[in-house]
Amino acid sequence: MRWEGFHVLGLAALLRWVEPLLCLVGIVAIVRAKQSGPYRFLASLLGVHLASICLLLPLLAYHKEMHLTVAQAYTCYFYVYWGSDAVEAILAFGIILSIYRLAMEPLKGLQRLGMLIFRWAAFISATLAVSIAVGPHLTSTSFIIRCVGQMQQTQSVLTLCMLVFVCFAIHPMGLSYRSRVFGVCLGLGVMATDQLVATAWVAHAPGLYSLFSTLNGVAVCAAFSIWAVYFILPEPARRLIMVPTTSPFFHWNEISKALGDAPGFVAVGPVTLDNFAPAELEIMRRASDKMGRTVPV
Amino acid sequence: MKNVVRAFVLSLVATGAFASSQINHSTKAVSVKASAYPIPMCPPGDPNGCGICQLSACTVD
Repeated sequence: MRWEGFHVLGLAALLRWVEPLLCLVGIVAIVRAKQSGPYRFLASLLGVHLASICLLLPLLAYHKEMHLTVAQAYTCYFYVYWGSDAVEAILAFGIILSIYRLAMEPLKGLQRLGMLIFRWAAFISATLAVSIAVGPHLTSTSFIIRCVGQMQQTQSVLTLCMLVFVCFAIHPMGLSYRSRVFGVCLGLGVMATDQLVATAWVAHAPGLYSLFSTLNGVAVCAAFSIWAVYFILPEPARRLIMVPTTSPFFHWNEISKALGDAPGFVAVGPVTLDNFAPAELEIMRRASDKMGRTVPV
Repeated sequence: MKNVVRAFVLSLVATGAFASSQINHSTKAVSVKASAYPIPMCPPGDPNGCGICQLSACTVD
């Protein structure tokens, strides 16, 4: 398989320069908005993406000047591309997790329950990705590509599920479509859709690389632009959430708050006074005095 | 505005779901990084560099 129709000039080449610039604008916008704490996974993803481009671009265009042979340059390109892809897929899981945490901030019980389910889903997804990648005639190359591919597909599906959830539950959570939680989720959703479409495209029509690279670049630049705009513009304050006492949200939140608490313990069998602390005996004595009984000492 | 956003999100999800079904039907599906950079599909150490010279107009060593 070759990079047929790979444009030296034109929109595809332009996007390869615009992409790192938008990435940098996104990082600066996050830092300037003092949001690098709650959105650290997003800032890290943009950082990794930018770093990978800083390595990929010279390998593609200037490997002669770097005194690398074509085979050496391609080998470096291969590992940088797929290595950064794997790291970005893991960081995208982190972004989904942080979006969920921020969106469900007022409903602590449901937040805790959802995080528990999400962690298990992420663990199972990662295990499945590794197990599916292991197969007959396995080489290190095919293992890397298949493992990263599976992880990325799972992450894309999870992202789209999260986008639907945030989109339809944003008003009950006190947020709006101008909130950064929605903006981050929307940008990630655009990237996830692009990745799924691109994967299907590459599988069915491997010859259409020029148009595909251009569309891929447009989608990723759109996602970076969405993030940059949301972090440059001020975020509206979160509204107070009012739910009726009969609301299932309220009940499930209360139930979830109690889940996972440390249990109480009950003494079973004969209990002697030696098992009690002096302070406990004193309390029992006073209680008995009030009731007109005596405690054997 | 709300309906426009929702329609856009649903169209993204529907596109993703359709693409996902196409991936599952294909035996040679390889996931792709969201980037304008070309996808290295050849094994590392490819003597032709998988066509890397098409950008820099160099010659294969």
